[in-house]
Amino acid sequence: MADDKDVLRDVWYGRIPTCFTLNQDEVTEREAEPYYLLLPRVSYLTLVTDKVKKHFLKVMKAEDVEEMWFEYEGTPLKWHYPIGVLFDLHASNTILPWSITVHFKNFPDRDLLHCPSNSVIEAHFMSSIKEADALKHKSQVVNDMQKKDHKQLWMGLQNDKFDQFWAMNRKLMEYPTEEGGFRYIPFRIYQTMSDRPFIQKLFRPVSPEGSAHTLGDLLKEMYPAAIPNEGEQKRYQVVIHGIEPLLETPLQWLSEHLSHPDNFLHICVIPTPTD
Amino acid sequence: METWKRDIVRQLKHRDRNQHAMFQDLIRLYSRLLEKTSLTKGLLSSSSRHPSSDSSRSISSLVHQNNQLKKTTGELAYQVVELQQQIKIKECVLEQQHSRLAEQQQRVAGAFGARQVLQDRVEQVQEENGVLKMKYDLLLEQQKGAEQNLREENVRGGHLLEDMIHLKQQAAARMNSRNERKSRAREANLQKQLQNATGSKVTVDSSSSAPTSRSTSPKAANHSNSSDRGHTRLFRSASVTSPRILTSIKGLFEKRRGHSVCSVDEDRMFPVGICLSARLPVRALQVLDAHEQGINTVKFSSSSDLMATGGTDRLIKLWDVRAGLLTHRSTLDGSTEGVTCVDFDPTGLRILAASYDKSALLWRLDDSVPKLTLTGHSRKVTAARFSGLHQVVTGSADRTIRLWDLQRAACFQVVEVASYCSDLICSENSIISGHFDSKIRVWDARAVSCVQELPAQGKVTSLDISADHRQLLSCCRDDCLQLVDLRRRSQERMCFRADGFKCGSDSTKAVISPDGCFVAAGSADGAVYIWNVSKGDLETRLPDKHSSSISAVSWSLSGEYVVSVDKSRRAILWSDI
Repeated sequence: MADDKDVLRDVWYGRIPTCFTLNQDEVTEREAEPYYLLLPRVSYLTLVTDKVKKHFLKVMKAEDVEEMWFEYEGTPLKWHYPIGVLFDLHASNTILPWSITVHFKNFPDRDLLHCPSNSVIEAHFMSSIKEADALKHKSQVVNDMQKKDHKQLWMGLQNDKFDQFWAMNRKLMEYPTEEGGFRYIPFRIYQTMSDRPFIQKLFRPVSPEGSAHTLGDLLKEMYPAAIPNEGEQKRYQVVIHGIEPLLETPLQWLSEHLSHPDNFLHICVIPTPTD
Repeated sequence: METWKRDIVRQLKHRDRNQHAMFQDLIRLYSRLLEKTSLTKGLLSSSSRHPSSDSSRSISSLVHQNNQLKKTTGELAYQVVELQQQIKIKECVLEQQHSRLAEQQQRVAGAFGARQVLQDRVEQVQEENGVLKMKYDLLLEQQKGAEQNLREENVRGGHLLEDMIHLKQQAAARMNSRNERKSRAREANLQKQLQNATGSKVTVDSSSSAPTSRSTSPKAANHSNSSDRGHTRLFRSASVTSPRILTSIKGLFEKRRGHSVCSVDEDRMFPVGICLSARLPVRALQVLDAHEQGINTVKFSSSSDLMATGGTDRLIKLWDVRAGLLTHRSTLDGSTEGVTCVDFDPTGLRILAASYDKSALLWRLDDSVPKLTLTGHSRKVTAARFSGLHQVVTGSADRTIRLWDLQRAACFQVVEVASYCSDLICSENSIISGHFDSKIRVWDARAVSCVQELPAQGKVTSLDISADHRQLLSCCRDDCLQLVDLRRRSQERMCFRADGFKCGSDSTKAVISPDGCFVAAGSADGAVYIWNVSKGDLETRLPDKHSSSISAVSWSLSGEYVVSVDKSRRAILWSDI
């Protein structure tokens, strides 16, 4: 339906206004001005920040430049999470633009993965897709695709081409009609207050009785604390792509339309802001 | 759409508005500004590097640069002026083009107008064409129908023609068979009579010519096959018939009987009657429809008890006139077309008829089949007369007069005349013919050359000669009768006209009364007009009995009866009793 297509478009073209500021400790020839950029929610940090690097390199000496890494309010930002997930998780209810600090030195090896080139990002992206398809279709669809189809998926993401990407991705969103949905829904629930990185379990989209599972069913199963009890105030926000879908939204639909390009449904659970 | 979906869509739109739309322009403009500053910084930095080395050199270079710049500005200004001039020129040209364009547009509009007019004309013409075509189609259909009819009629005509041919063939066959039967019957009769005659005894009677005639019979019988049967008189010899004639006529009838000589004789005499006074007819004794179609001619025989009428129905009917009544005696057929004229021979035993079928026919009175057919004319025979016993003269529309010998049944002379001959008269040695060129020609019978030409008043339709062969009556188409004295040869003629007398046709016949005192003619109005010869004016008029134009009249030799016949088959017997 046209609305679903609109949803897909809106999800793909989601942007976050960001202000990149150079860390004061960095040695510069001149004062570096901040660099503003609209970051795509569905992409990865190291993929879209070439301009930032170029801008700051103008004021730095070449010998002082090591691998670039980003942090927000002290937290190093993991580049292998989608940008939207990082924002929703860390800076969801803060003032825009999102202020990220750019570092060129002292790379935190313990917290971040190195990203020497784009091929690393590509490998990570493709593995996410394959993992998602394994859950959805027992890897049948992704294994039926040819190498050039995989390449097309990556190129679509890298060049921000919605049609190119979705020409291939729709195959991954199909399911046999008698099933009523995927085999298992690929999802990850992120939370800030836990040491666990994320929750990922097997969950079917359709109940054994045949009724479709909703977001509420998923949370009840996986993170019951997120759902307020009767009469209680809402303590947590369940954010996907910067919005809070209603708990009765069917899970299958969410997986088809609100997944990230890596075919995972990234759900952030954050404490409700008290102000 | 479900509520959750609506909610999601709304939230997405809200998010984009807040996060994307509000910052989009700002970030873009900021980036551009950043670029510009870096550019200018670059420029400044590049330009700021030079003055660090040598100030004076830099100043001169600056001045030099300045001069160069001034030159370039001058050149540029000049270029600007030039370009402006070019612009002006181009603008002029453009205006010209515009004006020309406007002109052309006007012409085009005019052309469109003309074209519209022509188109209207074309439509009109096409409409007319359509109408014409419809009419043409209609006519074509009519013509086809007419052609169809014509074809059918032709076919029918062909059928009719075939039928007619068939009928004619049948008629011919019938006639042939009848002829054969008659001839066979006659032969049988002949044989029987021969046998009777040879067996019977005869009493010789000195007062009559009977024995001589009878003795001719055996000899004559041998000639039975010859064509001149007229001489084998077995029954109707003059002696046998004369007593009967005597009894039917009331007085004043003197007869001269010639002696009959056996075998072929040219000088045989025959009874000739003289009428001493004719009686003026007053009323019609009898009116009858004598023929099937119009009657063309009527003639009394030299004995006043026999009359012949001939008509368009190809028949000649013989009538006995007795006690004021016409009784039909017999019918003679054999002509294939209508009969124009009849004439009795001097003996009264034979009758000659001229016919439309270009021939003249001869009958014996007792035989309904013609004895002779004289063919040779190329058009209708208008008159046929006996000239003597064995000669016949015929006049025809083919502008010839032919003389025929009856014994040979052949034409022995053809006389070319200048004009259509409408009637003939034979008197002693001359033949008188009347023609359409208003002339009456007198021919010598033996030399057969034109002796005299008498002028007539108009087209001559008929001739009649008085009993004493002195007066010649001619009837003309311009409604007048003319009487000429032949002996005196003077140009003096008597003309008879009357009010209401109109000559009805090209063959209307007029007669002189047997005593020569009256002339009678039938008019187109159906009345018989009789003039007095000595007085020259109309003596009497007998109207109301005929309903159509009278074609012929005849006066009986005794003077008692006048018969008139008309085109509507009627014959009327007039007398004064």
